[in-house]
Amino acid sequence: MARRNPMRDEIAIVGVGSTKFGRDAGGVSPASLACEAAINAIRDAGVEKSDIDGVVGVLEPGAPRANQMAAALNLPNVTHHSGPMPVAVFGLVDAMTAIFSGQCDTVLLYYAFTRLPWNSRSAANDPFRRYMMMGGGTAKPPVPEAIDPAAAYTAWASRYIHEYGATREDFGRVALNMRANAARNPKAVMQFPLTMEDYLSARMIRDPLCMLDMDIPVDGADAFILTTTEKAKALTPNPVVIHTATAGIVGKNDEDQLPNLSRHGQHVVIEALKERSDIWIDDVDVFFPYDGFTIITLSWIENMGYCPPGGAGRFMQEHWDDASGSVLINGRVPMNPHGGSLSEGASRGTGHLREAVTQLRGDAGERQVADAKTALIGCGGFFFNSQGAILKRL
Amino acid sequence: MSEPVDDEALVKRFPWVQITHDSKHLFRGWLDERLLINRCDNCSLFHHPPKPICPECWSSNLTPTEVSGRGVIHLAMFLRQGAPAPDVDYLKGPHPVVTVDLEEQEGLRFSSTVVGCPVEDVKIGLEVELTWIERYGSPFPVFRPRTEGAS
Repeated sequence: MARRNPMRDEIAIVGVGSTKFGRDAGGVSPASLACEAAINAIRDAGVEKSDIDGVVGVLEPGAPRANQMAAALNLPNVTHHSGPMPVAVFGLVDAMTAIFSGQCDTVLLYYAFTRLPWNSRSAANDPFRRYMMMGGGTAKPPVPEAIDPAAAYTAWASRYIHEYGATREDFGRVALNMRANAARNPKAVMQFPLTMEDYLSARMIRDPLCMLDMDIPVDGADAFILTTTEKAKALTPNPVVIHTATAGIVGKNDEDQLPNLSRHGQHVVIEALKERSDIWIDDVDVFFPYDGFTIITLSWIENMGYCPPGGAGRFMQEHWDDASGSVLINGRVPMNPHGGSLSEGASRGTGHLREAVTQLRGDAGERQVADAKTALIGCGGFFFNSQGAILKRL
Repeated sequence: MSEPVDDEALVKRFPWVQITHDSKHLFRGWLDERLLINRCDNCSLFHHPPKPICPECWSSNLTPTEVSGRGVIHLAMFLRQGAPAPDVDYLKGPHPVVTVDLEEQEGLRFSSTVVGCPVEDVKIGLEVELTWIERYGSPFPVFRPRTEGAS
């Protein structure tokens, strides 16, 4: 540990709430999903309306703003409200820093995600979704050659394959791991099994990546209640504390100008996590690499230090557990036991965060990691949304 | 070189692009089939996409400077589906999208498609040069395999 971290273990997650996840929630608004998740989280935490003085609502397309949520829930005295961008850890960092600094004591942090009109036919047919755009919206349609954040992962996957000779099976193992884990998570939308043959024959979308390399859009919401660890001890017998959490970017983060795969946002995140913490991969009981695209997962595995650059495919093969059909690092540590964005649903990291809390509370049922004490989350990708967090059981 | 068009006319020529005061020079260049990349008058470094200042030395004295358009493919993907454009038909085959390392400066890259060769020939490492197609009635910069001896 070489950097100061005064917030270490000082902020706790005391409540978790979700909706069911669906490929079509059917005639409900993102605000409705957000309210359902928020109420579940508030009840789970055992706090009152008047206790919640911070509201952090991540700016997912169509999601209600923090002030709108405060109005929907009629929260009477809110002293901090904000709207960080996706993905999940931006919201976590905002909430924890607001509490630690004294701007508020107890935060409702929520995320509502909605299939956008181009994600599915049923979403396109919903006239109430037509205004929804990623990133706050732009009047201009994309062009085929746009190296936008999504396409850029495929572009850099081509470089990864070029530099390391990675095979399609290397990418496929990420998808298979998530699908096998999803079968043990009733919330996951993808409940049917996936074989390597299925993966290899899946429709190419942007070659070299196919449909199964990309996360699955869903309607749903997750919410969390955070407060000081001191207050948390009075609220719950099993608070989960944030050991550290961070974002990370490099200067050259325009998608096609990223210098190389050896130093981007993930590397900044990892350096910050290591320098603020005594906990690292040998101490981790459950690992949550982001999987919006399979290439991101391969990169987190490598960059975290589980294996050398280019070695993630082989690493997964070496740590493959045939009985469960998934990765168990050293026969023990699973990777996204909830099924990740690829198979639980594209919650842009909130599923990873929720499952980390669930595992550390010991509430994960048949997918519970025995005596899970620490969780490592690598959230987001390479460019503008790389993030990470280490959570632990108090 | 044609007369420079005013801002209003420029926006009308590229209704499909979000043009800003920082990127207007790039698109004015397209109308003359010239690829103008921001270059810093102070430290001489290029940058792309266009920014209001030089990210290296923070000088705001920038000159959109014509580049050769020659380079080497650094990233390559092949869209089986994607955003529409009048010159792109995904049903006819994958649409290549490449990011090219321009020869003017290491790591200075420009992304577009590749024309003039079978899609199978589009690979990382291929030497390419700039050419222009028409899209929505305005010039659009694309790449083609480098022809020996051509400038």
